[in-house]
Amino acid sequence: MPNAYYTCHLVPLGLLSTLGFTPKWLGARLPHQTTPRRDATTVHPTTCPYVTRLVAAAEALLEERPPDDVLVIAGGCDAMRRMGDLLAAYHPERTFVLAVPRASTEHDVRAFAAELVRLEQWLKERAVQTADAAATPTASATTGAAALGAPDYPSAPEPGGVFVVGGPMSDDSLLELLSTLGAKVAGLESCTFPDRWQPLATAGLDALPSDLSALAGQVLQLAICPRFSTTLRKAHLARRLEQTKASCVIYARQSFCDPGAYDALLVAELAAERGLPFLELEVGFPLEASGPLRTRVEAFLEAQLLDEDILGGDFLDDDLLGGDELLAGDLLTSQREPGHLPEPGPARSE
Amino acid sequence: MPGMAELTGDSLSASLVRAAFLAQTRWKALHTRTARAYLQYHALAASLELFKAGSVVPWVSYLFPTEILTSHGLTPMIPEVGSATLTGSDLREAVENAAARMSLARDVCSYHRTALAAVENGMLPAPTMCLGTTPLCLGKECLLEMLATRYGVPFREIRVPLPPDEGEAPPAVVAEVAEQIRELHEDIGRWTGRRPDLRRAVLLSNRAAKAWGDLMAERLAGRLELNGRKTFAIVFLGQLLWGTEAGAKDFERLLTERGRSDLVPPAFDGRRPKRLLWLHTVPHHDHAFFELMEKQGAYVVFEEMGQMHQELIDPDDPWPGLARRLTDHTLWGTSARRARLNIALAKKLRADGAIHFNHWGCRHGLGSLPVVRAAFIEAGIPFLAIDGDALARGGPNQEKALQQLESFLELL
Ligand code: SF4
Ligand code: SF4
Repeated sequence: MPNAYYTCHLVPLGLLSTLGFTPKWLGARLPHQTTPRRDATTVHPTTCPYVTRLVAAAEALLEERPPDDVLVIAGGCDAMRRMGDLLAAYHPERTFVLAVPRASTEHDVRAFAAELVRLEQWLKERAVQTADAAATPTASATTGAAALGAPDYPSAPEPGGVFVVGGPMSDDSLLELLSTLGAKVAGLESCTFPDRWQPLATAGLDALPSDLSALAGQVLQLAICPRFSTTLRKAHLARRLEQTKASCVIYARQSFCDPGAYDALLVAELAAERGLPFLELEVGFPLEASGPLRTRVEAFLEAQLLDEDILGGDFLDDDLLGGDELLAGDLLTSQREPGHLPEPGPARSE
Repeated sequence: MPGMAELTGDSLSASLVRAAFLAQTRWKALHTRTARAYLQYHALAASLELFKAGSVVPWVSYLFPTEILTSHGLTPMIPEVGSATLTGSDLREAVENAAARMSLARDVCSYHRTALAAVENGMLPAPTMCLGTTPLCLGKECLLEMLATRYGVPFREIRVPLPPDEGEAPPAVVAEVAEQIRELHEDIGRWTGRRPDLRRAVLLSNRAAKAWGDLMAERLAGRLELNGRKTFAIVFLGQLLWGTEAGAKDFERLLTERGRSDLVPPAFDGRRPKRLLWLHTVPHHDHAFFELMEKQGAYVVFEEMGQMHQELIDPDDPWPGLARRLTDHTLWGTSARRARLNIALAKKLRADGAIHFNHWGCRHGLGSLPVVRAAFIEAGIPFLAIDGDALARGGPNQEKALQQLESFLELL
């Protein structure tokens, strides 16, 4: 079967399989940094590393793979939408850009269903030209992390550990790092991790020939990622933090990512409301969990151990300092109504 | 001149200072009688009202159909306009310091970062509602919805599908967007308890649009040359005034020579100037680029973002017309569409070249750059992209950008 390289787990992978394509995550197929590039497809340096690297990956694959292989780009944010535009300009017959709404109202489901119909038509037109278009799709073809090239938890999440939030992550190295440093992982919210892609991996396998609205609704219910409606995302993350009984939060934010930037603010607020220590890291793609990032995570975890061991868990609730522990900076950056003091929150490190 | 801080306060002395400052700005407008000075005065007057206690403050996206607000007697608070105004005032340092203390990533669009810092520090009024449109970018939708969540106010987004690369958006798409606008207009009435008068707002908007459309048509036909850097300010501030009496009168002033006397291109002592098309936003406070152009015998003949509201709306059935302004907006759509429209524009204007301003953090503009650049090169039209920040003054990028501009102008 020809391959359909996709950018984001909001693409219903089952639908790709049903239509005779093997879904493969583009993020797992990055060319070497030194692979020569066309100048014309070089994106601006203030583009998120994910898109920057995926453009290179797509270009390399489209050059070397048979012409039946295609790209399906979920244009969920401006950067990704523009990536689609760029590749469509050079490979119009092999690039499909799927518009993904930011919410799951009836209107959004309708609009997304129409997009899926468009994708179906487009894939059908291409599948007809391939010899093994009739190959039968199976759930197993799309459900395994290895098959997709998507990362997985190195070990099962445990309540009470570090809750990690991020955009697309190339691999499990941040989770591995936490475990090396002796910290448990309570849960992970990332575009590329199992909680996101597992339920979506089979989505669409049985969608055809029935109405694609149900599939659209299913994807939009599951797809509560950083680019999604703030209100829904906030409720979703609050639920996840409660369920996993997180003890602290690490946000691994891709640089030059707008949804990630605003999402990190939201997560910092949720952490503050719960008195959970919060650390924001700026990461690239692929994620480099060594060097400065390791040092910062280490310092963050150590600071918490110090708090627990020496000061006791309830220190901030003590009346000992009579509120003087609030720094002027906290007052100035307070995001509350004038006249209200900010509640003591976690140290924010960047 | 009083400081913005005094102007935006809510005390009695603030209102006295406000009245005095407005009188001064009004005097300037009366004195020069130019459309630009009047627009400035009216935009400022309307915006300052938003700071009064109890004001309804709709934070909206730049392309929002503001007529559905003016129908209810409301003035929009547009973050991009607010940020550009503050960073051009004596609150610049205060807002920059506030932004530096903020934990929002520094790599987002600086219009939005500044607006967030400003509202969180009392330099812009807090929202009563946040109303977005999917065009042009996701960043401002993130900002607006986050503000709505923080302040516990309604958020609505008009979802606008991308137009086709060629031709117009299909009628079914226009009808769907029209329906969203209609519903939102009703919601605004319900939230505020105000009675709408959309017909009046549309008639006034049409007066402004007719004047602006006529002026743009003259410019495109080559019968009228204006300084595109300066006309940019007309639409930018004009966004606050569509559908108002003041806005209608101010745009109509552009039809007289006196009314547009401060928009004339620089004089070049008989030399034929290089005429450039400017793409995307402009550096609002950094005059170095335009001074260099003038020195090198060049000027901005036309600005991409000036292409707003040139068509009239049917007052008896305003929804499809308001919708089409969004569905078919020249800056919405794929990079290929943006490239095609701009090349057609450059050819029509017989521009000597095009300059794309790579505004800091704008994924929409920067993302389309590779396709736009390639298309210009293919069309044989000289093209330069310069990095910068629309709100900056000088700064680390400026020198490099100026050198690039200088070489480009020499090549022309
Ligand atoms: S959401 Fe962020 S990380 Fe993902 S593609 Fe868009 S800009 Fe890049
Ligand atoms: S400059 Fe770009 S990112 Fe900023 S508001 Fe405009 S379109 Fe959005």
